Amino acid sequence: MIKFENLVKKFGDRTILKGISFEVEKGDILFILGTSGTGKSVLLKNIVGLLTPTSGNIWIDGEEVSQYTEEQYLPIRKKCGMVFQHPALFDSLSIFENVAFGLRRHYKLNEDEITKRVKECLSLVNLNDIESKLPQEISYGMQKRVSLARTVAVGPQVLLFDEPTTGLDPVTTNVVNHLILDLSRKLNTTSVVVSHDMHCALEIADKILVLDKGQIVEQGTPEEIRNSQVELVVGFMQEVENHV
Amino acid sequence: MLEVLGSKVLHFNLHFIGVLQLFSQTIIGAVTPPFRIKDIIKQLNFVAVESAPIVVFCVSFAAVVTIIESSFHMKIVVQNDALVPGFAALLILRELGAVVSALLVTSRVGAGFAAEVGSMQITEQVDALKMLGIDPIRFIVVPRFVACVLGGFLLSIIANVVCILCAMLVSQLSLGYTYGSFIMGMKGFVKFQDLVFASIKGASFGAVIPIFSCYYGFKCKAGAEGVGLATTNSVVTTSVAIIVIDFILSYFFSYFY
Repeated sequence: MIKFENLVKKFGDRTILKGISFEVEKGDILFILGTSGTGKSVLLKNIVGLLTPTSGNIWIDGEEVSQYTEEQYLPIRKKCGMVFQHPALFDSLSIFENVAFGLRRHYKLNEDEITKRVKECLSLVNLNDIESKLPQEISYGMQKRVSLARTVAVGPQVLLFDEPTTGLDPVTTNVVNHLILDLSRKLNTTSVVVSHDMHCALEIADKILVLDKGQIVEQGTPEEIRNSQVELVVGFMQEVENHV
Repeated sequence: MLEVLGSKVLHFNLHFIGVLQLFSQTIIGAVTPPFRIKDIIKQLNFVAVESAPIVVFCVSFAAVVTIIESSFHMKIVVQNDALVPGFAALLILRELGAVVSALLVTSRVGAGFAAEVGSMQITEQVDALKMLGIDPIRFIVVPRFVACVLGGFLLSIIANVVCILCAMLVSQLSLGYTYGSFIMGMKGFVKFQDLVFASIKGASFGAVIPIFSCYYGFKCKAGAEGVGLATTNSVVTTSVAIIVIDFILSYFFSYFY
């Protein structure tokens, strides 16, 4: 489904990603873990062309997309949804219009169908009766959930999450994690999740990839990660044990 | 030293190419559907209607200064101020009305655009648009561009008319010219094409404002400092561009006299 081969990304003289290679199968959940500033978000943005790699290849559904133009990326982005680190809601639009934005663009639905789908998606993230509010009238955590609802609304085949639970309370974090799992298991959606949350990764990921200073230092199933001897992974595991 | 100079030239070239690309994409977006009429009207209200009071207020004072200064200096040089109405009207129509209103709109509207687009950029709203299949240039820049071209055109006419009226009023109160004699004095110097050229200047200055503002907004770096820098750069560059374009257009229009 998604394949990276020796991907390098530089910003000026700084090399952020130093030859990344990995693969995600359809319906799988891949967690990308690592400390801040290791290039996790950069990696995610390369998948959908929001950043262009300096060298290396990216395949999506067998299509090599690394040097695609903005126009060529349109059909790729149509099947991908991304939840950003910031809620990234459009300030001038109501919550309803934010969630309906992609629906109006991609589908020919009547107003009743749009309303039904918007309410459905908002209730998926435990939000009700806030449709008429503006983004700045609700809390940051609620904005992040609206952002998730907006992404899910268009029914993407691939979901990319950039720290989806940062700033959320534990209950909502749990809801979001289970939503990622549900979408993957029920709708066969492929998910790539950038996160710091090893506990959650061990619980729901099919595969975990650990990044450090722009390089993959460990990758494998949750079981393999538990038994890893890599220093950074051991540090993450200790955090999980302390948390438990 | 040479290295620094080379880097600055390279930097300038990159910005220049970037601005030209944004301009060409905006023009294509402005003349091809879908036309975002609602957004254009909303922006036109912000650009023209909400800017009109400040433009009218400032050009009125500019007119007063023009008349008083012209009279003072003419009396010194040619011993009388009979040419003040014509000279002042010419100065107002050819330069003052369009340039002053454009610089005012730059500081009010251009700064707002740069800060708004910059915030959208750093909070990933621009990326979110791309992910939803929307071209950010069509969604953000084109409505502002169309509104600024129309707004610049309208504001320059309003500014010129108000400026002339104020000049007439001050001439009567301060120099003793009747409205009739002011208009007669004006007629010898000013032609209808001056107002047309002033409007063309207004529209051209209007076109520059959203292009530079949105360009710097899209290039905005994270943080409050990033937004501040984008806003400052956009206002300074737009103001310089307006002065340069004013020179180019004035030179070009001189062939029609």
